[in-house]
Order: sequence, then structure tokens, then C-alpha cells
Amino acid sequence: MKKVSIYRPTTVDEALQILSRHGASASVYAGGTDLLVRLKNRLEQAPSYLVDIKKIDHLRYIKEDAQGGVEIGAATKLAELADSRLLQEKYPMFVEAIGKISSPELRNASTLGGDLLQEVWCQYLRGGYSCWRNGGYLCYGAIGDNSYYHSAMGGRLCYAVYPGDAATALIPFDARAKLATPQGEKELSIEQMVPGDMLVDGKIQSHVVRYNEILTSVVIPPPKPGVRASFEKLRPRGVWDFAMASLGISLQLRDKTIEDSRVVFGGISGKPYREKTVEAYLKGKTLNAELGEQAVSVALADAAPLKYNATKIDMAKGLLASGLARLNT
Amino acid sequence: MQTIEALLLEPVGCLAEFPSAPFHEIAVRLFGRKGKAISSASLTYWRLLNLIERADGPLDAGKKSIAESLEVEAVDAASIYEDVVPALAELKSMGIRLLVASSLSRRAASRFIERNSLAKFLSGVCTRDDAGGVKSAPLLNALGNASLPPEKTMFLTDTVEGIKVARGVGVHPILMMNDPDEAQRLAMHNPSGGVISLHEMPDFIRLLAAQNQRG
Repeated sequence: MKKVSIYRPTTVDEALQILSRHGASASVYAGGTDLLVRLKNRLEQAPSYLVDIKKIDHLRYIKEDAQGGVEIGAATKLAELADSRLLQEKYPMFVEAIGKISSPELRNASTLGGDLLQEVWCQYLRGGYSCWRNGGYLCYGAIGDNSYYHSAMGGRLCYAVYPGDAATALIPFDARAKLATPQGEKELSIEQMVPGDMLVDGKIQSHVVRYNEILTSVVIPPPKPGVRASFEKLRPRGVWDFAMASLGISLQLRDKTIEDSRVVFGGISGKPYREKTVEAYLKGKTLNAELGEQAVSVALADAAPLKYNATKIDMAKGLLASGLARLNT
Repeated sequence: MQTIEALLLEPVGCLAEFPSAPFHEIAVRLFGRKGKAISSASLTYWRLLNLIERADGPLDAGKKSIAESLEVEAVDAASIYEDVVPALAELKSMGIRLLVASSLSRRAASRFIERNSLAKFLSGVCTRDDAGGVKSAPLLNALGNASLPPEKTMFLTDTVEGIKVARGVGVHPILMMNDPDEAQRLAMHNPSGGVISLHEMPDFIRLLAAQNQRG
């Protein structure tokens, strides 16, 4: 394992100072289920300084806000989200999605912030290949085995898919992220925070959080009346795995008429892929048994599968049909 | 890798899909090659360049004319990749110098540039006629004419020969990964980098600049 130095700040300000001091060679450490694996695998991009934020006590909570939404501290464990009665009552789809992330053991360690900002799980990166995210200048996934964890919707240098499920489930609720930065608090939508492969601080990463910023919380707005939501996930192993394809979908209904929707695919692109063509198609339609098949016909027209992963698009379309069918029951 | 200032472009294999038959036909008619044409225009082209390189002296006027005519035929049948024009426009706007450094004849290269309206993006063109040779000769000529530092220059290629030629003249060979299976094989030859599409080059160059700025 790569040798590292660990800091244990007790305030966010202290953590920001440490991160600013060490630049891109430092990284926030919370659950460790991603970061420690990168260190163990001696990846070029793994940090030399860990800033352990677990001692900062006000980053781990689930609370209802004044507007009737819910704010979740970024260091809250996934298991705590899965067990939350408040979340179950207000956003059962989100709780279902969290329950499908990895295994119970890992959910006891992993945090919401870690799931949102995790590194991709491309087997070439994790295997130490000198790829775009690991000190090199070539995507091995684009030309090698890309059947599981690579984009079927094109790429930008790196073709690995964004692996997190939480973002796919939060975007349908228009959730927002709060970040602590040296310049003060910053707020972004989840969609803005995880826009896919970006060049940030001289690195390629899936999110826009800079080296000296910390994701502190996620705010989910109050549930709108008439909203139904569903989360679907297909994975190579049913017990636990990353998504081959997943879907977070919400419909705002008046009787059976769809007034608004969010359709977000996971596991098929370098970002949680919001399918606005389908959202536009669904607007004003009646939710019925035929709608799934009709929506599938307009979905993912921009697909650009690699050699071995066209099946991801079929899976995603299947999830759209089954998601709409589920919301119709 | 240092911050990049210039790209050397060989139209065959990196800017357009060429037919292989005209290049094969040159090899058959001028060098007595036998056997069927293969589908890869790039491989056929670079094999032809090897034959030209090994020939005793320059082609005589008759052979030169045959080669030029068939190359122009190839150019006329070539279809430029759809990402080329927007990528070149973006690269030029970033201040990257773009030069065609090709082993094609001057007539064929000029035809290619004119046919695809690429002149406005280019700061130089060097062909085998300008350089007096093929393979490394146009690259060296382009570097010299434009006073380009090789370590800040990339050459896009999709063949092993292209990788070797680039290394030989000190520029960075960048693999155009047009075909995944072939690209896997070529990646074993240690190119400096690889892209699926030319539209990735601006980001590639920006990433290098950011990394170098970061130190």
C-alpha cells in the first residue's frame, strides 16, 4: 500500500486549510471503501495525504429542514440512509436505491459523499494501467473489454462509466449539494456536481469538486404532491455489484396525466445520464400500460456503444419500460 | 509530456477514411507486388511507403505520374471523418499549429486539403515532394520549416510504422484508435497517447497544459 500521512481535523475550516496546503496530493477520507482501494492498488493518482473528516461531527446526520425537505450530512453512512424512517417516509425510491449499493458490510462503511464523488471502477484503472486517470494518456477500456463498466454514450478521453447509484436516485428529486470552499459555501445541483469527465485541477474526474473543497451535505427538496418515483438496477451479480444499467425516474402526476418527469440512467455513461428527450415525450401523456413501450422508442437515440457494450442500451431501455410499468401499478 | 504547440497530420488514417485499392494498385504497378489488397488503407499505404523508401532512387517521371494519379483517385474517394473540421477549428483557436506532414505527393495532398476546405486551419503543408522522401522526411521537413520543437509536437498515426517514424524524429506518436482490435495491438508499441476521435485532441492538449502548469 502506498505510504500516506493522515490528518484528523475537527472542523471543516481546518480540513479546508489542510487540503489547500497540500494541493492535489491530498484527498478527503471518510468511509475509505474507494480511496483505500486506490491506495492499496498503488494507483498513480492516489493521494499522499489523507484528510480524515470523520472527527468533524456535524457532517453525519439526517434531518428534516424547515421547508419539509431533508438534509443529509455528507459523511452519513449508506446503512444509516437505508435505515432512516424519515427518508423512507419521504423518499422511498432513494432508500431503495441506497439498499442496492454494494453489500451490507460496505454500506456500513461507505458514506453518501463517497458514493457521489467516488472514482470510476474501470478494471484497467483499478488494475494499475497507465490510463487517463492514472498518469497516462490512453483509455484501455475504449479498446479492450468494455462490456461492463464503460460508456455506451460516448466519452471524453476516459470511457469509464460513472459508477454511483446515489446521484442517479437523487437527481429525480432535484436534490442539491452543499460544498465548503475557501471562498465560502457553494451550492450545486447534483447534476451540476457530477457532469461526467471533467478536467479539474489537472486531473480527469467525474465531478467538479476541487482539491480544496469538501462536500458537506445533500439537500432533498420536499416531496411534491402527486410524485411517484422508482429506481431500477441491473447488475452482473444480483447480490452486489455496480450497475450495468440503472434508472432513477420520477413522475409528477395529476390523476394519470404526467405533468413533469425526471428520467436518469446510471451505469451507461460517464455521468448520471438525464434523458431529456424522454422527459419531453412523457409530458402531458397518460400513464398507462402502453406508455413504457412508446417511451422506449424515443429513448437514448444518442447512444454510441463501444465494441462490447451495446447490450447496456437494451438494458437501459428495458429498465425504462419496467420503471414506467411499476409506476403504473 | 510537455505542453503541446503543434500537431503533424498525415491525412491517410487520421483525417479521412481512404480506400486501400489505389495504394495497392501503386504497389502492384510500380513495384510488382502480388497478392490481394487488404481492407486497411493505412496498412496498405505504409507498406507502399516502405517500398518507395527502399526503391533505388526517386520514381521516374512515368511512375511518378502513375502514383500521383492513383493517389488523387484515393483522395477523391476518401471521406473525411466528421469530427475533423470542428476539432481542427478548436485546435487552431487554442493556438495549436496544425501542419499536414504527409508522404502523399504534393498533388494528392493539395487535392485533399482543397477538397475538404482545410487550408484555413493549416499553418504548413509538407509532402514527399517537398521533403524529398517519405515517412520521416516530411515530418523532419515540417519541423524544420516551422521551427517546431519536436518534444512539443505530436504526430497522429494508426500504424506501427507511424509510431516508429514519430519516435525516430522525436515527436510524440499519438494513436488514432480507429479500430479497437487493431488499437489494442498498437497500444503495445508504447505510443505517447491515444484518442478515439480527433475531437478529443483539444482536451488532451488542455490536460497536458494543466498538468504542466500544476508541475
